[in-house]
Amino acid sequence: MRGVHEFSIAEALVAQVQRHAPPSGRVREVEICVGALRGLEPDALRMSWEAVTHGTSIDGAILHVDLRPWTITCSSCGRTWTSPVPFVACACGDPAPRPTAGDELDLVSLTVETEED
Amino acid sequence: MAEAARTTRIPLVERVLEANDEVAAANRAQLERRGIFSVDLIGAPGSGKTALLEATLRALRGRRQPAVLVGDLATRRDGDRLARWCDQVVQISTGQGCHLEANQVRDALAEIDLDAVDLLFIENVGNLICPVGFDLGQSAKVGLFSTAEGEDKAAKHPYLVEAADLILLNKVDLLPYLAFDRSFFEADVRLLNPRVPILGVSATTGEGLEAWLAWLERAARSGLPASTD
Ligand SMILES: Nc1nc2c(ncn2[C@@H]2O[C@H](COP(=O)(O)OP(=O)(O)OP(=O)(O)O)[C@@H](O)[C@H]2O)c(=O)[nH]1
Ligand SMILES: [Mg+2]
Ligand SMILES: [Zn+2]
Ligand SMILES: [Zn+2]
Repeated sequence: MRGVHEFSIAEALVAQVQRHAPPSGRVREVEICVGALRGLEPDALRMSWEAVTHGTSIDGAILHVDLRPWTITCSSCGRTWTSPVPFVACACGDPAPRPTAGDELDLVSLTVETEED
Repeated sequence: MAEAARTTRIPLVERVLEANDEVAAANRAQLERRGIFSVDLIGAPGSGKTALLEATLRALRGRRQPAVLVGDLATRRDGDRLARWCDQVVQISTGQGCHLEANQVRDALAEIDLDAVDLLFIENVGNLICPVGFDLGQSAKVGLFSTAEGEDKAAKHPYLVEAADLILLNKVDLLPYLAFDRSFFEADVRLLNPRVPILGVSATTGEGLEAWLAWLERAARSGLPASTD
């Protein structure tokens, strides 16, 4: 499990979520946003998340990963679009339009369930 | 009396690696205060990180006062190799960790006499992926690729290429024996990071070493608009 690159990210995230979780509530959902540059796999993140949260106070919380795509900009025809992968050809025939992406890795929200009368 | 569950969405915007980033910022402040230029050397296992540092330390003897932190999963071999050329080498055993984190660098720096240092090399764990996302507080990130790994490795590791202040292509002495098209490699680098310098080197023959040392001197003098993001 340690070999998975997403594992250390999941570990950092668990500590962070536990810091923010209100003591009286149960964390049901956790939402993060990840720039394509990070190269993280949402499935591997969720697997690591399940392994790391298992048996903790946030066991069972669902991880939502908002993966931001690459932006491809073609200088030959001026077209701009998004793509899950960086190296793509443009419809105009340019074989190598420029890929750019962010490296954000942010905790966006927690959804917490609290009991009330 | 029935209890109803109430769900609340708590919006937050906080970096997941904020704890690491804070320690990295403290490392950076400490190094900058002392005028120590630092390089985080990132490359695949076997790309030649230790070999390049051995050649570099040998060339810098009498010119600079370097120190080296070296991250390794399980052995002390790299640290022992480097200690032949440099008095101040700290081995960081990462165990199962596939990258260095800022707190490991902070602890290792505490073992060094920083007054006697003006240049710091950090050999990261052999890995082209994880080390890139963990800021250590370095002045510059250097991405080390080697001809033996194949010309597609820059394209397959866009984060390192994008984040690097310098790309080194090691083992150029092997080019005559390999089907490695340097123009393909360089085109991929250029597409991801149009301005980054690319230098070909050979840690074994010393080819290209002068250009790498010149880059180091220039970057250390100018303070470099480093990878502080
Ligand atoms: N031909 C040739 N071989 C090299 C060169 N640089 C390194 N090597 C060889 O490549 C192998 C790996 O070199 P290391 O310096 O141990 O590589 P590393 O990146 O530090 O490896 P890890 O720390 O294990 O990730 C060794 O056998 C070196 O002798 C080079 O420029 N040319
Ligand atoms: Mg090494
Ligand atoms: Zn990893
Ligand atoms: Zn186009």
